[in-house]
Order: sequence, then C-alpha cells, then structure tokens
Amino acid sequence: MTFLESLRTRTEGRRGTLAVIAIFAALFLYPVILPFAVYEQGVLLLAFLMALMAVSWNIISGFAGYVSLGHSVFLGLGAYTGGLLAETYQVNPLWFMPLGGVVAFVAAALVGMVVLRARGHAFVIITIALLLSMQVLVTNFPSITNGSNGVNVPLPFWSSDYQNMPFYYLFLVLLLATVAFAAWIRRTKFGTGLLAIREDEDKAAAIGVNTTRYKVLAYAASAVPIGIAGVVYAYFLSFLNPIGAFALLTSVTIVLSALAGGRGTLWGPVLGGFVVSIVSEAANVYGGGSQSRLLVLGLALVLVVLFLPQGILPVISARIARRRAAQQKVEYTDQAGVATARTPIVVTPRSAPTAERAAAPLLEIRGAAKSFGGLRAVDGVDLNVEAGSITALIGPNGSGKTTLFNLVTGAMPLGSGEIWFDGTRIDKLPPWERAHLGLGRTFQITRLFKSMTVLENVVAPLPTASWALMAKDAVSGHEAERARELLDFVGLGRFGSQQAGALSYGQQKLVELAQVLMLEPKMILLDEPAGGINPTLVNRMVEIIRDLNRQGIAFLVVEHNIPLVLDLCDPVAVLSRGKVIAQGPPSIVRADPLVLEAYLGPEWLPAEPLPGAVLNQAALSVKGS
Amino acid sequence: MTQLVQALVLGLLIGGVYALMASGLTLIFGVMNIINVAHGALLILVAFVTWKIWSVTGIDPILLSVVMTPLMFGLGWLLYKGVLSRISGSSPGMSVLLTFGIAITIEGVLNVTAGNRFRSATPSYFSESYRVLGISLPKAQVFGCLAAVVVLGLLYVVLSKTWTGRAIRATAQNSSGAALVGIQAAGVAALAFAIGTATTGVGGSILSVLYPFFPASHYDWISRLLGIIVLGGMGSLAGALVGALVLGLAETLTATYGSLQWSTLIFYAVIMLVLLFRPQGLFGSRLRQDVMA
Repeated sequence: MTFLESLRTRTEGRRGTLAVIAIFAALFLYPVILPFAVYEQGVLLLAFLMALMAVSWNIISGFAGYVSLGHSVFLGLGAYTGGLLAETYQVNPLWFMPLGGVVAFVAAALVGMVVLRARGHAFVIITIALLLSMQVLVTNFPSITNGSNGVNVPLPFWSSDYQNMPFYYLFLVLLLATVAFAAWIRRTKFGTGLLAIREDEDKAAAIGVNTTRYKVLAYAASAVPIGIAGVVYAYFLSFLNPIGAFALLTSVTIVLSALAGGRGTLWGPVLGGFVVSIVSEAANVYGGGSQSRLLVLGLALVLVVLFLPQGILPVISARIARRRAAQQKVEYTDQAGVATARTPIVVTPRSAPTAERAAAPLLEIRGAAKSFGGLRAVDGVDLNVEAGSITALIGPNGSGKTTLFNLVTGAMPLGSGEIWFDGTRIDKLPPWERAHLGLGRTFQITRLFKSMTVLENVVAPLPTASWALMAKDAVSGHEAERARELLDFVGLGRFGSQQAGALSYGQQKLVELAQVLMLEPKMILLDEPAGGINPTLVNRMVEIIRDLNRQGIAFLVVEHNIPLVLDLCDPVAVLSRGKVIAQGPPSIVRADPLVLEAYLGPEWLPAEPLPGAVLNQAALSVKGS
Repeated sequence: MTQLVQALVLGLLIGGVYALMASGLTLIFGVMNIINVAHGALLILVAFVTWKIWSVTGIDPILLSVVMTPLMFGLGWLLYKGVLSRISGSSPGMSVLLTFGIAITIEGVLNVTAGNRFRSATPSYFSESYRVLGISLPKAQVFGCLAAVVVLGLLYVVLSKTWTGRAIRATAQNSSGAALVGIQAAGVAALAFAIGTATTGVGGSILSVLYPFFPASHYDWISRLLGIIVLGGMGSLAGALVGALVLGLAETLTATYGSLQWSTLIFYAVIMLVLLFRPQGLFGSRLRQDVMA
C-alpha cells in the first residue's frame, strides 16, 4: 500500500515482470487454444472488466486516498451513451467508445469541482448519491432513455460462430491500456502529488500542489477508462436498464477487488479483480445462486477491511522484501555520520526584486485578525518582513505565532486585514499559489510524507502551476539532480533512498528545509527550526539559514530558543495575546518592559528596565511547549 | 390553500420521523467521526423484524419499538465492540468501507431470509385519518411523529442532563481533552454507537408502518438521512432536527406540486447544493485544527 511497496511491486525484478508477461500471454492465447470454452471466456472477460474498473478506482481512491463508493456510475454513463446513440442511429456502438470516455470525464470533473474543493467526508457521500440519483434520473426521463423499459442495443456484427471472443479481446486490451495509464500517472509529478495528498493534504498544498485540481483530475481520470469500457459493456449485454446499468453491487465489487488486491499498488487491483470475480462466480454456481451473492460480498468486504486492509499483493511483497532484507546488511545511520559532508549550494531566488519593489517590504501584514469562536488568536497584527532579513517572531505560547503562520501561508482563511507578498495581495489566494509566488514554510512538528523516500520528498514540491510540469516524470533529470544537490547542502546526501519516516526528528527538519528550497522561495517561514533537536544539528541549522540568507532568501522565524533568536535574527518582533507588542533590533527588544511582562507576568517586572541578559535566562526557564 | 396547509402539516409530521432517524446517524458521526453507512440497513432490519412480529402476533408495530430499542442498543454495542473498534484510528476511508460492508451484509441477510419483495405493516389504523379543520392527519403519521418526538426528547435529556450524556458531548467536541479529564473514549464511543443504533429501533418500527420497504430500500434511506445531516451540519443534533424538517417539507411539497418520482431527487440536489455553498451545513462550525495534531 505504501509507496515503497508499490515501487517494489513495479520493479519486483525480472521474476515479477516475467510472471506478468506469462500470465497475459496465456490469456491472449487462451481463446485460440480453447475456442469452444465459451463459458470460461465469458467469466474471464467479466474479470477483465472488473480488474479494469478496480485499476481505475485505484487512481482516485488508492493513490489520492479519496474513497468512491459509487464508481460503477461511470460504467452506466458509458453504457447508456453508447447504447442510446447506437440504438437511435442503428450503428455499431463501438464508434462511441471515445465519447463514453468523454462523458464520464465531464461528469466526474463537474461533480469533483463541487465536492473536492472541500476535505473529508463529503466526497464519499456524493459518490453514492451520484450513482443512486443517476438511477432515478435515467428512470424519470423516459423520452430520452426509455425509462425502466430499457434500451435495446444493436447486436454484434460478427458471425455467432465467434461467440464472445471479440469482447474477450476488447476487454483484455482495454485492461492493459488502463494499467498502462495508471502506471503512467503514478510515475508523473501528478502521481506523486496524489500520494502527497493522501499522506498529508495541508502539507501538499503548502509545497505548491494545487490539491483541488489534482483531486478533480484524479477523479475524472479514474472515470475515463470505465466510461470507455461501459460502451463495450452495453454492446456485450445488448440490453440496458437503469437498475442494472447503475448497479450498486458493481460498485461494491470494484471496491472489494481493489482493496483485496492492494489499494495504492499498480497490479494489486488487477489481481483483486480476477480473484473477486472468479470467486463470486464460483459462489454463484456452487453456493446457492445470486440471492446469497450480496451476503458473500458484504461479508468479504467487512473481513478484508478488518483483517487484510493492505491487500494481498502488498502482504506478499512485504514478505519477500523481509526475506531479502534479512540477507542484506543494513546501512548504519547515526547522527555523527550525518554531521560530515555538507556541500555549498547556489540558491538564486527565482527573480531579484525589481527596482520599485526593492524599497517596499517583502512581506507586509496589515491588521491581520483571526478568531476561533470567542477567542481572538490573532488580533490586528501589523508586521513587515524586509527582503534579505532574518526576522524573528517570538512570544509566549498561545500568543498566536503559529496561527499567524497559517494565515500567511493560507492554511487558514484570514478573518480580516490584508497580507501582501512581493507586491501581490495574497490573503485570498489558496496555499499553493502562495507557494508558487515564492513563499515556503516548515512546520513545528515535521510533516514529511513518511512512506516516500527522502529524495521523493524533496522532488515533490511544485514551484509553478504549469500543467506540463504535472505530466513530467516525478524523479528525473534536472529536478532530481537539484534535489540531490539540496540534500548534499543540508548534509543528508547519503539518505536519498531511505524512507523519510526512518530518519531522526532533527534530520527530518533538515529534509523539510531542503524540500522547501525546491520551491526556489524568496522567503521561508520557519516554525521552531531548533525545537526538539540536538545542539550539533541546531548549529548546522543556523549555519544553513545564514548561508541561504546571504544568497538573498528572507526568513521569518518562530523560535523559543531566545539566545539563538537574539544571535541569529534582526529585527525581532514580539507577539503577545494576538498583538505585536514590540519590534526592533534584538538589543532593544530584550530590554523592553512590555516584553518582559508578556513573558514573565507583571509581578516580575522590575521598577526600571534592566539592561542586558534578563530575558535570556528567564525566558528560557519559562518556555516549554 | 388547504392543499398547501395539508402539504405543510404532512411535511412536518414526516420531518419529525426523519429527525429521529437522522439523530442516531449524526450522533455517531459527531462522537466517532464515522459515517455509519449501515444506519439505513439497520432501519430496514428493524422494519423487517417488526413487520414479522406484527404479522405473526398482531402486536402494534409502533408499540413494538419498546422491544426493538433495547435490542438494537445491544446490537449496536456488539457491532462496535466486535467490529468497529478494531479499526479505530485508521483512515476515515476504511471506516466508511467497513460500515458499507456491514450494510451490504445486512441487505444480503434480509435477501436470503426474508426475500426480495416489498413489505408493509398495516395495523387497523393504517388507512384512517383524523380530520382537523379540513386537514386530514393520517393516524399512522401522527403516531409515528409522536413516538419520534418522545424519543428525541428522551435523547435530549440523556445528552444534556446526565453525566453519560455530557461525556458523550465532551468526546464529540474534543476527544483528547475528554480523555484528559478522565473520560474513557473507547467506552463513550461504544455507548454513543449503541445509543445511535438504538434510535433505529424506534425509527425502523415507524418505518414499517409508514413506508413499504424491501432489502435494498436502505440505499434510499441512507441517502435521505445523509442529505439531512449534510444540510444540518454533520455531527450537530439541532442541525439534524432542522435539516429533517426542511427536507420533510421539501419532499411533501415536491410530491404535492411536482410528482412523487422527483421527490427523492430533492435529497441528492440538497446534498450537492449544500456542499457547493456551505460545506459545513447550517449548524456546523469550523474550529482550529492544529491543536488536535
């Protein structure tokens, strides 16, 4: 199910590839060798169709993690498109195969644009509602669809001697094309983006993935092969009715197939489709007819979710991997090893500020406010970050620092006020557009895509919204090279092929920084870069920040380690109860009575502001998060 | 005019019953963040059992809810302990698939045991009506709505006046916070699921009288109920009540002035429109999320 496993199943080595080739060669030869096995051919061709639908379902529900419970709606749409047109014009329905795909694409894109802007449960509900409402619609428009009386599709043009053999080959070829389509998607940046959405949608948006576009496109892409196959299906059935064409049972079988085979893997849904359709046919023949089929499918779904949630294929490949891993030595990865080689790097922010822009601040926050219920977490903040500066944002816990970050990066909508970045007003833009403008961020608790490798994490960000970029190979050419350079720069070059989740917390913070650098940012927001990591790595982090800053990247840093802040940053802004209470060079700010009061409470306030190191010690002892 | 008033009154009566059925679904969602797709199937299951008992013994179907409610409470508890609790913590997608599987299983069981055809309990008052000021009030609708109001009232009292109820509401709002003050989240979840399922005991009994049903009817019902809680704001009990009344009215008005076959589409249309314009529903709220993580 994880990325690594799907990669492994893809590149399982020669043995896996040979097995796949052998199986499909056998399937191609089967009707030639046994032309009179008509029943077996019929069972197999429906298994091809089921596998095709499971592979398609996997694009939205396996890769992107948005479960569709009504995916058979696209089979019905394709079938009705082809069937109705063929009946009206009395032509071969197969001419309408492309149209079936287009209709499915458009329907999915329209519905997706409504529900996929939001997160979470809405999508599941809509997918069922879509299927059931199509049943009602098709029944209620008898003038177009002939209602519940159904549609008679023209009969096959070939001689009945061939039986279903042409359908057998059609579905087999369509299945292979669909697998190739899914494999291509998986390989592209689009595919990586979908996995990123599955793992952590907010994070994906923060690194420039246009999550709405990705999800809508994934849903539409997952509809196309089914829509095309639907036309063939109508020809095969030669009769359509609303309940049969838009069957919920088909949807259940699709979900069960993909799940049982291995959600998120390439070949898992194919395997699942074969297993489920053949077992279900066997249950039908030997197990008491179609009455009990529903019961068997329902129970199978419950059991698979409970006991085999990963699916057959990932379980098998994990077992093989474990056996292999036992034979190989594991590379020793310690902190000391990390602290060695670090290479310099050139990071040119994508465009130097223009002459008239150079005077204005890079980031300008004007009167920003945000409430949660009655709590005003951010209460009218005015804050500027100058180009080329390392600006600190400090303040007690709960003073609104992280919320302010979320407002600037777009993880939360702004209540009131304005935010300008590099001459553009950004407070209405979605997070990914802000990332495309050159605004990067790291998180307080690192949020890497834990099941991807370190290198894949670093190539995941998308610096532009270009459509062409989405279709490019995920790990390839210039970008992969750049990602390796960036990993070398933060001193983690050796860890490129490790799983991100396997790194230590401090290393993950460095990887997250490298990831942000892929955006070619003008400015980076760092949320507690030194939080929870050891002093050696803190020093390295400081070194890296300075290095990047010298090359023109501005920073806004939230940090509780006050000595570090006072050493690294200038100016320092202090946030308390949602307001900026002091701003200026570190030496001034740390002697400001308002700041001392905010950190220590009024009873600690000396009569005269003490110069020097009061805040240094005291603030450290009251911190803690 | 009379026709309009008639439609409005009927809409409210139906809305009351819908509110009861949706309350369990929204309660379960609120506490566990699970869309219980099996809720509709449980309703149909109760309707079948009620219908069977009524046809054998002749006991009033709506009265039978006194028996069905504790039975469904027990079934809900068992379902949670035996099945749903095993996947707590995994992705929301998996929990939906699981309840979907349960729904299909129940449908399959009903198909095998009860057969795939329409049933309806028809007690003596089935086709009788009260007449008030020229408006006809079908007795079955009135009894059904009264039962629903009583149960909703009880549910309200339990949730707002008892410690258990407060624990359930606390868990719904912030489960880690509730755990910190000594509430056992797993126990509360089991209880909420059991209570949510128990409401189908009454809802299903009423359903058996008011609507003809067959095993696959549960898809219609879950769509209706989802429409209601999406409109009201998922997880909000008050929202479920308002959503149910609104959709009850919309359905009867469509059936009166449009046609019966379009009235079911109202629910799907409402789901789409609400998600388009106000994804959090009428009573839903959005709070900060980062604290949870």
